[in-house]
Amino acid sequence: MNAERQQPQEESTVALTRRAPAELAPPEGEEERFLRPFAVDAGVNTSRPDGPVEQLDMLSRVVAARTPGRYEWLRPERETILNHAERASTVVELTAELGLPLGQVRAIAAEMLAEGSLQRCGPTRSLGHSDLLHAVLVGLRSL
Amino acid sequence: MASADSDTQPTEAIPHAVKIIVAGGFGAGKTTLVSSVSEIAPLSTEEVMTEASYGVDDLGGVEEKTTTTVALDFGRITIGTDIVLYLFGTPGQDRFWFMWEELAAGALGAVVLADTRRLDTCFHAVDFFERKGVPFIVAVNRFEGSTEYSAEEVREALDVPENVPVVAADARERKSSKEVLVELVTHVLRSRQAAMSG
Ligand SMILES: Nc1nc2c(ncn2[C@@H]2O[C@H](COP(=O)(O)OP(=O)(O)O)[C@@H](O)[C@H]2O)c(=O)[nH]1
Ligand SMILES: [Mg+2]
Repeated sequence: MNAERQQPQEESTVALTRRAPAELAPPEGEEERFLRPFAVDAGVNTSRPDGPVEQLDMLSRVVAARTPGRYEWLRPERETILNHAERASTVVELTAELGLPLGQVRAIAAEMLAEGSLQRCGPTRSLGHSDLLHAVLVGLRSL
Repeated sequence: MASADSDTQPTEAIPHAVKIIVAGGFGAGKTTLVSSVSEIAPLSTEEVMTEASYGVDDLGGVEEKTTTTVALDFGRITIGTDIVLYLFGTPGQDRFWFMWEELAAGALGAVVLADTRRLDTCFHAVDFFERKGVPFIVAVNRFEGSTEYSAEEVREALDVPENVPVVAADARERKSSKEVLVELVTHVLRSRQAAMSG
């Protein structure tokens, strides 16, 4: 079905998917209302030109900073995120939980971080790269 | 890095999340390798890709777009309380390169699964990791009925440098998959040490 589209077209693909056209950016203060329609149909929300400030990697870890509110069910993705992130969770694990595309979960999580519903968490015990590698090696060997 | 900047910081220990990529052509055994070592059944995540339809010029702003989703499998290995390893299989098709970029960012390293029935299907992966400077090893999967190639023959065919390990593997065997990962991490450590002393 895609036989005629063999050319990788790497650069243009990246440009098209990573950056949403400026006119599609939600107006100030309307992020929440804009998010869902975009997220569902096009996936253009993967990143937005002038924000959010929060850059979330697929392995960034977040934790819920509050419990779901009474009307959270109106936005079920958020409810699920808050419930699932009761324990610190990576963005990619949240996407598996929600069954939603990575870009969409990333966008919702970034907004939730910005509004304070989620918090980012770094490793409890900080390890240098070299210590990390050694620990991974030892751990793998003893599997 | 450990942040104590909030009062809601969870009481459980937060581990480092370490990413390893498993690449290779369609059917090379990526999902099999991830499943055989993962402590959970592989989870799947999706990404949506919007692209301009091929051959359509920008006709006064009317540009046709098609939307495709790409699925990624990932597995998990918990190492003590400090580290969780995430293994990601790459999407098979070339047009999903944009996901490779994301996967490569911050990755510890990559395993390129070479399928000896069609070695050429992993050329792209080798090129990509070389270009991105992501350390990788090559694991040669032996499929029934395929020609037996030695590691050296595979190395030559893929044109990978002498310092990149090329090992035989069976992605269906947990032990073998685990050895492949040990080989990768050892290679990453060795490369770092070489880089620091050189
Ligand atoms: N003989 C052999 N078969 C394998 C090996 N790894 C995977 N397979 C088989 O090859 C098929 C495709 O593997 P899969 O993991 O789905 O490939 P993927 O497309 O790279 O994810 C499955 O039927 C596997 O059982 C291997 O190391 N040796
Ligand atoms: Mg697969």
